[in-house]
Amino acid sequence: MLIHDNIKIRDLGLYLIKEKTLIISDIHIGFEEALNRQGVLIPRVYLREFFERLKKMLDHVDTVVINGDLKHEFAGMSSSEWQGTDELFRILEGKNVIVIKGNHDPILPFVLKIKILPFLKLGDVLIAHGDALLKEEAKIIIIGHEHCAIGLKEGIRIEKFKCFLKGKYKKSILIAMPSCNLATEGTDVIRSERLSPYLQQNLNQFEVFIVSDTVYAFGKVKELF
Amino acid sequence: MITFKEKADTKKDVEGLLHPIVKQWFFSRFQEFSLPQLYGVSEVHARNNILVSAPTGATKTLTAFISILNALVDCSEKGILQEKIYAVYISPLKALNNDIEKNLLGPLEEMEKIAGKKFGIRVAVRTGDTTPTEKQKMLKKVPHILITTPETLALLLSSIKFCEHLKQVEWIISDEIHAIGDSKRGVHLSLSLERLQRLSPGMCRIGLSATVYPLETVAQYLVGNERDCKIIDVQYLKKNDIQVISPVEDFVNESYSEIEKATYNLLDQLIQEHKTTLIFTNTRAATERVVHHLKEKFPHKYVALDEETKEKTDLIGAHHGSLSKEHRLKLENDLRAGKLRCVATSTSLELGLDIGSIDLVICLGSPKSVSRLLQRIGRSNHQLSGITKGKILVQDRDDLVECAVMLKFAKEKKIDRIHIPTNCLDVLAQQLFGMALEGVWDVKEMYTVVKSSYCYRDLTKKDFEEVLDYLAGNFISLEERYIYARIWWNKEEGKVGKKGRMSRVIYMTNIGTIPDHQGVLVKDQRGNKIGMIDEAFLEKLDRGDIFVLGGNTYQFSFARGMVAQVIPMPGKKPTVPSWYSDRLPLSYDLANGIGNFRELIENQFKKKKDKKEVLHFIHEYLYVDKVAADALYNYCKDQYDYIGMPSSKKLLIEHYRDENMKNYVVFHALYGRRVNDVLSRAVAFAISRAQHKDVELGISDNGFYISYDRNVNVSKAFSMLKSKELRKVLELAVDKSEILKRRFRHCAGRALMILRTYGGIKRRVGRQQVSSMILLNAVRRISENFFILRETRREVLEDLMDYDSALEVLQSIEEKKIKIEEIHTFIPSPFALNLVMQGYSDILRMEDRQQFLQRMHQMVKAKIALKSSR
Repeated sequence: MLIHDNIKIRDLGLYLIKEKTLIISDIHIGFEEALNRQGVLIPRVYLREFFERLKKMLDHVDTVVINGDLKHEFAGMSSSEWQGTDELFRILEGKNVIVIKGNHDPILPFVLKIKILPFLKLGDVLIAHGDALLKEEAKIIIIGHEHCAIGLKEGIRIEKFKCFLKGKYKKSILIAMPSCNLATEGTDVIRSERLSPYLQQNLNQFEVFIVSDTVYAFGKVKELF
Repeated sequence: MITFKEKADTKKDVEGLLHPIVKQWFFSRFQEFSLPQLYGVSEVHARNNILVSAPTGATKTLTAFISILNALVDCSEKGILQEKIYAVYISPLKALNNDIEKNLLGPLEEMEKIAGKKFGIRVAVRTGDTTPTEKQKMLKKVPHILITTPETLALLLSSIKFCEHLKQVEWIISDEIHAIGDSKRGVHLSLSLERLQRLSPGMCRIGLSATVYPLETVAQYLVGNERDCKIIDVQYLKKNDIQVISPVEDFVNESYSEIEKATYNLLDQLIQEHKTTLIFTNTRAATERVVHHLKEKFPHKYVALDEETKEKTDLIGAHHGSLSKEHRLKLENDLRAGKLRCVATSTSLELGLDIGSIDLVICLGSPKSVSRLLQRIGRSNHQLSGITKGKILVQDRDDLVECAVMLKFAKEKKIDRIHIPTNCLDVLAQQLFGMALEGVWDVKEMYTVVKSSYCYRDLTKKDFEEVLDYLAGNFISLEERYIYARIWWNKEEGKVGKKGRMSRVIYMTNIGTIPDHQGVLVKDQRGNKIGMIDEAFLEKLDRGDIFVLGGNTYQFSFARGMVAQVIPMPGKKPTVPSWYSDRLPLSYDLANGIGNFRELIENQFKKKKDKKEVLHFIHEYLYVDKVAADALYNYCKDQYDYIGMPSSKKLLIEHYRDENMKNYVVFHALYGRRVNDVLSRAVAFAISRAQHKDVELGISDNGFYISYDRNVNVSKAFSMLKSKELRKVLELAVDKSEILKRRFRHCAGRALMILRTYGGIKRRVGRQQVSSMILLNAVRRISENFFILRETRREVLEDLMDYDSALEVLQSIEEKKIKIEEIHTFIPSPFALNLVMQGYSDILRMEDRQQFLQRMHQMVKAKIALKSSR
């Protein structure tokens, strides 16, 4: 589904048509092991499932941009993070891979052989993790970090779904992405405190695109109350 | 074989068993042996398994301990006192343990005085509070009598060093067995007892219980399978003086505030007429409210002012589980010292703690079961000779009927049946892990030990092995298994043992069956504390929602951490149903009794009996005073005239539609909440199976409702429901419920799949719940029948709800023993309204997430289309 000129939603990623570029965000490799270390015996099923989905997202892709938080642990590299990162790059073999630094990635520059960028500018589009405001301006800003999700409520039932949000940040078009970590849906952007400094404004005019078996355009946030 | 001991021994027989010093001591303190002692002392002496059932204060504990102290004094005198644990005493309450220690050390000292020398008999308490130094001391100088809790016992059984001292135990005393046997804590204990029995094959078991029914089942639970037990039944030793009293004559025409005012005036009057009064409420919040109101309304009576120091001291206090240990201890001491006029409590003072002399017990609202009523009333006049005096102060019409029938049952000795959970696989996982920590096991022997417990008599080999497979990490692929495995299991040799360096620490810091609980504090704008709600309830609230708490309505503003901010909205209609998590459910047996009473009353009305005649019947059938009988009559007449009388033989179904065109189907089904929980879900499931839409439902003791936004053919749904398929239907229905998500956390915690404490860090309840949801979804990806998921379904259906009794009801409907009558009301009957407002609520998800999303999407699309066409 087209979310903006030249930008398509492809599962949990964004595809820039002209540039043949896929953007994915917040995979948090190692999340399951981190839970194991906190004493939760969670079987490691979620990352594997994401990788299967990723393989189907790579048609006509030359470049893959990983928009921050590739891995979970702040300090150090856990064993499943080594393994998971290895596997990710194996899946992306042959593609031009660009990694943007997220707040979980302070040590990434020391362990990955490729260069880690603070942000990436592709024509009109600025791609940044979104944990901090950048001086850089652009017509279109794409951020991760927030793990966008939205709760649909009917009666006393409430279900949370991963979603993309599209609205305005100052004079730019802002697109916020869901996370590629399948263990949780993410932050319910209308019911919880939002993390990213790009998303502190009233979201009523933002458009919601829920990602599930396919993409569902849900209109504006204000319609959902 | 389980047998009853029919005849007491003679005083001479019992005397003959006692060492001269013990005998001299006994008669220096008491004039006579009590009845429990005449029955029990010789049995303990002979190392026979016994269950003693007697009311609180009936010297049960001393009965058990006389023979044990006797044996120890005898050994000491003969110089053959061994360095070993002779007796283990277990109680569910840490506070009770300290009482017991005092009650043993005192007599021992007095006996030593008589003997003129020290015996060297050691008594020690070991609980979670015991310091490392004390523990070291116990290892070196092992106590002859060990006083402990179920959890600590399980820890000791897995401690290699301490196990050495548990190899020749002669007696185990399990106190307050009625209060533990009906929970997973009791299931856990039953396995610990089997483990202990394996180490000490000669050990005999002594169970002490308050009034409970059936005694045979409790005895079976105590001793396990294929062992003998003698039951000593002295349950009705004390005379009861119990009354049901009503604050007003007519509940219908008095306003809420009038009833409240009358209630407090009556409470005050009763307290003033007695020296010390204990008030039982049904929730912690109500406990606080009672104390607060009494202090506010009658300050000069409940707050004492010291003329000289100008210091104020309260003469009234609250005692419940959410209060700090220090606060509770101080209150218990003040109570014993006679410094207080009144204490209000929820359940925390039900058990046998020594609280001094209480001359009146008031139950504010129905205690919901006969055994609980007797337990509570039994706290008054804590001496055997005295009469126990209690009043049940009813709070509304349903309460009145309920309490009147309860009183009848209590007087006629009809006690509700105890439910003992069975085949709990989460508890099994924890205990099997604990067993592996003891050393290497033969799998066959392990299975035999587990199967000896009453709670696991029907455990299949398949389930047992599935739990072992889980502990061995066999549900995970080989390369990652090392992370998950807590034990190794060599299937060829049939051996099991512990695995991993951390396993002992994990076990030690996470043992137990009681889930962590955290309430959310509710405050108004000025910061006044209003009460507590469940975290799960908070999740359902949106800004602007209006809900009931403690009889008042509030609007929800926002939540920060564990505090919910609200605005008082007196008189506003609630928009979300209330939810009472700590509310006690009405027992099914008692509910049936109420149903019978209603049937009898209906017959009176049908025969056109006049008011005098009906009142005469009420007085003959129930034990109530004139005011209560009048109120009862008014209530029943009202109901009869309005919609007819639901009874144990008639299920009344009322249909109405509210102003938002929402349909309500209200089932006036008087079976208690645990049964209604099952029935409502089964009916809702049957209804929605055809229509594939979510159904909202609410459940209370007196019925349940199902709410829907289109017309429903309930009779058809009912006829679709077959008792043969009930289990299957319910497992599907429960799988889609909110309650399953919460209970899964508890079960995963017990099975140590989510550790509450790890690496020295304790996880908050909220964090545990988040991990639990991630875990639940991951586990479903492995198998819908993963054993923790299966156990969660079983717990919800059998322990939280009452599947068996619900099945009975459904069969009676099929056999036409219960008639169904449907009525349509234009304005809902008051009984229906009450139910809708008070029922605790859940939703049955017929649609899966995907369908729900698609339908919501269609709705939004339609909304947008409408707007753009305007």
